[in-house]
Amino acid sequence: MSTRHDAHVLIIGGGATGGGLAHDLALRGLRVTLVERGEVTSGTSGRHHGLLHSGARYAVGDREAGVECIRESTILKRIAPGTFECNDGLFVAVCEEDLEYLDPLVDACTEAGIPVQRLSAAQALRLEPNLNPELKAAVRVPDATVDPMRLILRFLATARHNGADIRPYMEVTGLVRHNGRVTGAALRDHVTGKTGEFNADLVVNAAGPWSGQVAAMGGATVPMTPSPGVLLAVRGRFCNMVINRMHKSADGDIVVPQRGLSIVGTSSWVVEDPDELPVPEDHVERMYTEGTKLIPALRHAPRRAAWSAARPLVGSGGAATGRELSRTFQTFDHAARDGLEGFVTITGGKSTTLRGMAEVCADLVCRKLGIDAPCRTREHVLLPHTAYYSEAAAA
Amino acid sequence: MSRPANNELPGTAERRIPGPVHHKGPGPSESGWLDPRGRGHGGRGLALHRITGIVIVFYLYLHLGVLSMLLIGRSAWGSFLSLVTAKSFLALEVVLIAAVLFHGLNGIRVAFVGSGLAVRRERALFWVGTVIGIAAIIFAALHILGAL
Amino acid sequence: MSEETRSFRVYRYKRGNGGERFDEFEVPVGPHTTVLDALLWIKRHRDPSLALRHSCLHASCGTCGMLVDGREELACVCSVEDHGSEITVQPLANLSILTDLVVEMNGFFARFPHEHPIIRASEPPPDARGGEIHLEGDHEVTLDPLPGPLHYHPLHHDHRAAPPGADFMRLEDCIECGLCLSACPVAATSRGYVGPAALAAAERLLEEPRGVKREDVLAWAGRPEGVWRCHVGLECTRSCPADAIPAERIMALRRELIFDDGDPKERE
Repeated sequence: MSTRHDAHVLIIGGGATGGGLAHDLALRGLRVTLVERGEVTSGTSGRHHGLLHSGARYAVGDREAGVECIRESTILKRIAPGTFECNDGLFVAVCEEDLEYLDPLVDACTEAGIPVQRLSAAQALRLEPNLNPELKAAVRVPDATVDPMRLILRFLATARHNGADIRPYMEVTGLVRHNGRVTGAALRDHVTGKTGEFNADLVVNAAGPWSGQVAAMGGATVPMTPSPGVLLAVRGRFCNMVINRMHKSADGDIVVPQRGLSIVGTSSWVVEDPDELPVPEDHVERMYTEGTKLIPALRHAPRRAAWSAARPLVGSGGAATGRELSRTFQTFDHAARDGLEGFVTITGGKSTTLRGMAEVCADLVCRKLGIDAPCRTREHVLLPHTAYYSEAAAA
Repeated sequence: MSRPANNELPGTAERRIPGPVHHKGPGPSESGWLDPRGRGHGGRGLALHRITGIVIVFYLYLHLGVLSMLLIGRSAWGSFLSLVTAKSFLALEVVLIAAVLFHGLNGIRVAFVGSGLAVRRERALFWVGTVIGIAAIIFAALHILGAL
Repeated sequence: MSEETRSFRVYRYKRGNGGERFDEFEVPVGPHTTVLDALLWIKRHRDPSLALRHSCLHASCGTCGMLVDGREELACVCSVEDHGSEITVQPLANLSILTDLVVEMNGFFARFPHEHPIIRASEPPPDARGGEIHLEGDHEVTLDPLPGPLHYHPLHHDHRAAPPGADFMRLEDCIECGLCLSACPVAATSRGYVGPAALAAAERLLEEPRGVKREDVLAWAGRPEGVWRCHVGLECTRSCPADAIPAERIMALRRELIFDDGDPKERE
């Protein structure tokens, strides 16, 4: 499919951010090349428990993130039908102390525009029989479950169909600069072992937790705090709805059903290098302990896997666990920030807001390239994830 | 904006080369079903079923050939009989019976599973068939070899 | 604390750059180390050119399928402890190899029936509490859409109608990992065979149509390279990491084809 604009954008990073952006720019008619050093979504986007946020978790402490989530999750359900388990979610109070969070939660959700419904303990148990029978009350919100990789594949498939060149196993080894301008990237192809340089009119850094490292290749700075958390998958599908603990964000406060497994998450700490993520066994034990407070049967459910995933949090300095940093996203135009033209970073954010992040970044990209093309991703229904595999050209 | 004419991602041409396809087992892919390594009783049973099937077909032709020797005459038939009643030959008969028993019992198992009647209880069916088969082979061996 | 190491023999192949070979690496392992952990360690500390497929790290995305000591496994949940001191790792069989341990999944997905929905009606969760729930008082609750902005219910708004009584929905069991196709003894000899995953997906369309026509599915499955190529090797079910039990679905599909009298109401 021919592009309407001559400008060529190179996107570094094939996760949620890069995938969303490739789709948005391709839909606006730009030429897009996306390079990813491994399999798409292998960085961090594929690793989360699969929650499509209603925003209720953030409504109390991070209102902006809550509003973004409800808006974006509603859009995603419309543009990617058949990809979500739209079973809603519950916030469950298991002790008296939890009940103190109930009114703030309901009020905050209402203010943020997140639909919310109060349920009695009996009603909650009717919906989800495996919940802790000691529960006091519950609140229902429009959470949903998604297969993270497959959602992102839909964006990539649609981008490919619209002419984008999506190239996994292509690693960026450096940025090419001429006269204070980034003109492209130095690449190594892991499929063939070949290296070379590739030029573009604009390079977008969408490398998630690695954004800081990629920016540094060009001498630019991005305040990136990779913040991993441990997740635990046990055998057995004990719930259909997403089960949240009714208190402020803490370790092990969510259980998400993923096919025949139940995922308990998560914890939070900060690291320097997102490639070295340990899986502390005491965190795994904590998942079992906290998860059992929500669903007692989890205690004896066999462990399928335990792993760590790094959140790409923007900001630095003084953040001890990462929970204090905002989950909203940020774009960085390095021309203004570091005196480096032709280079832009988009990072931070939640998986749920990938489309919204892409819209803001694509607007910036088009502004810089002098292109007038409106965003169409709010309404454009995405191709199924299987199209990613049929659209792939050998080249 | 000027750009070098040949702006291609590295390795583009080489990526078009078709990659190899692996199959299990040594030799050409048509023999892949023969390799028992890494397979369960289902895959091994399939291989053995095909092998015993070929053996039985081969034996059928042999049998017809043997019967045709009845046309030759009494003395030729006599020397033929002394050959086939030798212990070593009878041992081969036991092997043949084992092959027929395996093929028949496994065939019953495959028929039950393949028509959807016993997929979940397939394991049980397999072990029942194995026990019956081994018992029958032992009985046949004792009877044929022991009788002489 | 002394660290245990294991020896890994890893298949290597770069297109247009020499032939196929095996590389050997000594990798430190611990009690919970998986084959994927070990391969990522090799990539980070020994050879950054090693190409791997992975994404979710918990047997959900189905991308890390490979042969470990000749058997199909998902590397992210394959424990090194269950294997010996030398572990051989190769890419999946019966699919074209892109590079190193990565196979081209295009060939896998091309075999599926054209309609391939991944959302289905959910079943009630197992009653892990082991008993009846006795509730007093007001326990009626409806699952009407929540008040507020659009609450999208794909099974109802899409043309694929939800089956009656489907209060909850869920993803299909099959994670499209390709282990079944690699394990199938028929798939090696019969390149056109659609394979267990595709047939199981078709049977799911008979079980829960979601707008797909029964005759279309039966016509697709009844072709020579469809259901009739299966010779009951049962290797697919054995290797499936997601309990999708493809063999059972293939046999159910066969039954539907054999006993199909064209009128669903007359069948039981």
